[in-house]
Amino acid sequence: MKTRLTFGLIVTLFVLSIPVIAGGEGELQKYFNKTATEVKATEDASAKREILNESFTDMLKVLNKVQNSGMISEEESMGVGNFKTTIKEKQDELNGTNGFERVTDSQLNNFADYTVQDIEQASITISLVALILIAILLVLIL
Amino acid sequence: MLHSNNRFVRSITHSDFFNKSLYVMLLIFIISCSSDYTIQHEALLTEKSDYSLVFIIHGDGGYFYHDTNGNEYKADEVTLEKAKRIAQQNLDAEVFIFHQKPKRHFLFFFPIKDGELYYYRNGQLIVNEKYWRDQEESNFDLEVDIYRSLRAGNQHEMLKIFLYFGHEIPELGGLGYDVSYPKRAFTIHNLASGLKKFTGDTTRFDLMILATCFGGTPYTIGTFGTYAKYIIASPENLHLSYFDLNLFERLDFHLSNIDLHTFAKKFSKIAFDRLSNQVQTEVSIAVYDVDRTRDFIDSIHNIYENSLITLRGETRVYPATVEHCDCAELVEYESPTIGDGVDLFYRPASFGRLKYKQIHSGWQCWRTLNKKQLRIIDEQ
Repeated sequence: MKTRLTFGLIVTLFVLSIPVIAGGEGELQKYFNKTATEVKATEDASAKREILNESFTDMLKVLNKVQNSGMISEEESMGVGNFKTTIKEKQDELNGTNGFERVTDSQLNNFADYTVQDIEQASITISLVALILIAILLVLIL
Repeated sequence: MLHSNNRFVRSITHSDFFNKSLYVMLLIFIISCSSDYTIQHEALLTEKSDYSLVFIIHGDGGYFYHDTNGNEYKADEVTLEKAKRIAQQNLDAEVFIFHQKPKRHFLFFFPIKDGELYYYRNGQLIVNEKYWRDQEESNFDLEVDIYRSLRAGNQHEMLKIFLYFGHEIPELGGLGYDVSYPKRAFTIHNLASGLKKFTGDTTRFDLMILATCFGGTPYTIGTFGTYAKYIIASPENLHLSYFDLNLFERLDFHLSNIDLHTFAKKFSKIAFDRLSNQVQTEVSIAVYDVDRTRDFIDSIHNIYENSLITLRGETRVYPATVEHCDCAELVEYESPTIGDGVDLFYRPASFGRLKYKQIHSGWQCWRTLNKKQLRIIDEQ
C-alpha cells in the first residue's frame, strides 16, 4: 500500500512538473480558433455574424475585468489594452463602424480565419499573470 | 515471532524502494548536468562538405498556431522536423540545428536541459544532445562552442547559410523574449553577437534567413548585414508557419545553375505564394542585398535610432500610441535610394485598415498614431 502511495506521489509530481505556463499560452488563440470553427460550421450568415460578435464582446468584457482587477501592473495593463484595441477594431470591421467597411456575408469565413491568424502572429505582450486571469475568466463567462 | 519478522522485512523493502527511487532521481539529475556529447559515425567528421547550415529555432514562448481546418501546431516543432529533413536530404552539407526550448523540471525540482542540438554531416546524424542554454546574457556562447568543435575543416570553401526562426526580435529592451527567463533580455544585438562568433572576423554568412515578424527594418538589416551578404526577412507580420524550406532540401540541385541572389528570390517567391494562398493577413518577404542597401541604411540610421528610443522605448510592451509602419509613409525616410538592393514580394491583408495598401517599400519603421486613432483608443 505504501509502495503504491509512494509511486503515485512520484507520478503526480511528474505530471505537475509540466509547466503551468502551457495553460496560459495558446488560450487566446484557442478561443478564437474555436470561434472560427463554429463560424465555418454554419451556413447562415446571420448566425456567423452573431458568433463572431459574441466572441469579440465576451473577450472585451474579460479584458476589461482583467484591466480593472487591480491584479496586474501598469505595463501589463498596457499589454492588455493593446490587445483590447486589436479586438475592438475587428468588431468594428465586422459591423462596419468607426470608419471600417462592413465585412460582407461572403467574406465572414475568411474574416474568421483572419482574426485567428492576426492574433496568432501579433506581438501580444500579455504577461503570464494576465493570461491566466483571462483564461480563468473566459471559463467563468462561457 | 514470524509475524514481527515479516513486518520487519516489509518495512525494509519499502524503505529500500524509497531510497532506490531517490538514488535514481539523483542519478538522472547528475547525468543531465553532464556537458559531454556522444558522437556517432565518427569517421564522417573527417569528410568535407560543400554547404554549412546553422538553424536556431526558438521555442521558448507562445508558438501555437492553427491552420484553416482548426488543427493546432507548434511552430518550433514543425520547423525542427523540416530542418531535420533538410539535414538528411543534403548529402554534401553539414547542418547544425539548435532548438531552444522552454525550461522544464523533472519531478518539480530537477531542471531539465533546455536546448537540444542535432548535428548532421553529409546526411547522417552525428550528434544529438541536450544542453543548457545561456543562463545569463544570451549570446549563443554554448552554441558557438559546439559549432567550433564539430564544424567541417573546409570552412572557407563552403557556402554558409544561417536561419533563425522565432518571434520578432526586439531592437531595444528585450526583456521577456524567453518566457522561461523573464529577467533576461534578448535583442538583435545578442543575435548579432552570436553571428559574429559564428562567422569569425573575416567572413560573412552567404545567406541569412530571418523568419520573424518585423525583421525588415533598417536597424535590424543594418545590424545583421555585417554578418551576412544577403538577408531574407519580413518587414511586416509573419505567420507562424514561417517560410517554405523545400528549396533547401537538395541544395546541390537547386543551387546548381543559379547564383545565390537568384536562389534567394526564388525561395522568397515560393514562400510568398504559399502564404498568400493560405493566410488572410498581410504577406511580405524581402530579399536584401546588404551591400546595395548600405547607402539608404546609413542615410537614415540616426533618424530610425532616434525613433526607436523616443517612440518605442525599452519596455516589453510598446505604448498604444505607437505603431509599426512602412518607412515610405514617413517624410523623413524619403530617399531615392530606399528601393536599392530590396526585392520585395508583398500582398496586403484581406481585412483591416491597410487592406487597400498595394505598395510597400520593404522597410518597416515606427510612428505615433494619428489623432483619429488616438481618439478611438481613448474611447475604449
